[in-house]
Amino acid sequence: MERKLLRPADLLLLLFALALAGLLLWGQAQSPSQGCVAVIEEDGEEIRRIDLGTLTQAEEISLGGAYNIVLLAEPGGISFEYSSCPDQTCVRTGKLTRAGQAAVCLPARISVRLEGGEQAADAMTG
Amino acid sequence: MRDKQMDWRSSAARRVAVTGLLGALALALSFLEGLLPPVPVLPPGAKLGLSNIAVLYAVQCLGFWPALGIALVKGVFAGLTRGGLALLMSLSGGFLSTGIVFLLSRLKHPRFGLLGLGISGALAHNLGQLLTASLLTTPAAAWYAPWLIGFGVLFGAVTGIILRVTMPVLNRLLPSSFVDTEGGAGGIPPDGIVHPEEKKSGGREKWN
Repeated sequence: MERKLLRPADLLLLLFALALAGLLLWGQAQSPSQGCVAVIEEDGEEIRRIDLGTLTQAEEISLGGAYNIVLLAEPGGISFEYSSCPDQTCVRTGKLTRAGQAAVCLPARISVRLEGGEQAADAMTG
Repeated sequence: MRDKQMDWRSSAARRVAVTGLLGALALALSFLEGLLPPVPVLPPGAKLGLSNIAVLYAVQCLGFWPALGIALVKGVFAGLTRGGLALLMSLSGGFLSTGIVFLLSRLKHPRFGLLGLGISGALAHNLGQLLTASLLTTPAAAWYAPWLIGFGVLFGAVTGIILRVTMPVLNRLLPSSFVDTEGGAGGIPPDGIVHPEEKKSGGREKWN
């Protein structure tokens, strides 16, 4: 007896996983994109908080550290502009625009996430 | 003593040797994958995971512990070349993936094919890494989950298909009495020797 490449259970697993991914994506698309607050954390501790809703022009934020991380806060979004870390995952994540979204530089243990937004301010307190 | 030439083929030492070979294969595959240029459209952390082919094969044909050993070797290699964090991420993904694939490959109902095992391995790998990343930084890292699930399905399917294609070649490493992709026996006989008359065609039969 050999193991077949494809069995019915495989298709079920595939459909289930894709449906789950679609559902999560849909849920994320419901997050507000207005008036978010960017929370910058190092080692899980909050080090800075920027209200993107009140920002009028782009602002560079140098965090320094071992990887010389520079964030770019703009009205309506925030991104990792520079990091000297080897994997560049944080930079490739791009601009965060919706509440709940996050970018992580794992080597530096620095994360940026967006909180709040007008409609969901109460739901996002955790 | 029956046929001395046959003994080395069927000994526990052979299993250890094949485990080592698969471990080396996993390292070579992850090195090759590192040579590929990064693809900008991929979400952070998404990788093809070619080295999971070795783990996937080991978990089915050698058993749980050899496969876990290969995952460990992969993690240590990642740690030596890319630092302690890579070790942690590799191990958390590799161990969870090995465990899940082992359980699913032993299931009779429902029975998964190689495609399903590849996909579940990739998904478990991503889940383990996502959990570790969430613990190390912020739970908001879970934002990537839908993308990691989507690409996990895609890349897991690719590894499953590649394994299906390369299985006849890999099976030549083992005497056919060891090769048990349906996950029943696949162990060493009680006396530790597979006798020549039990041996079939040396694993060279067709796999269609």
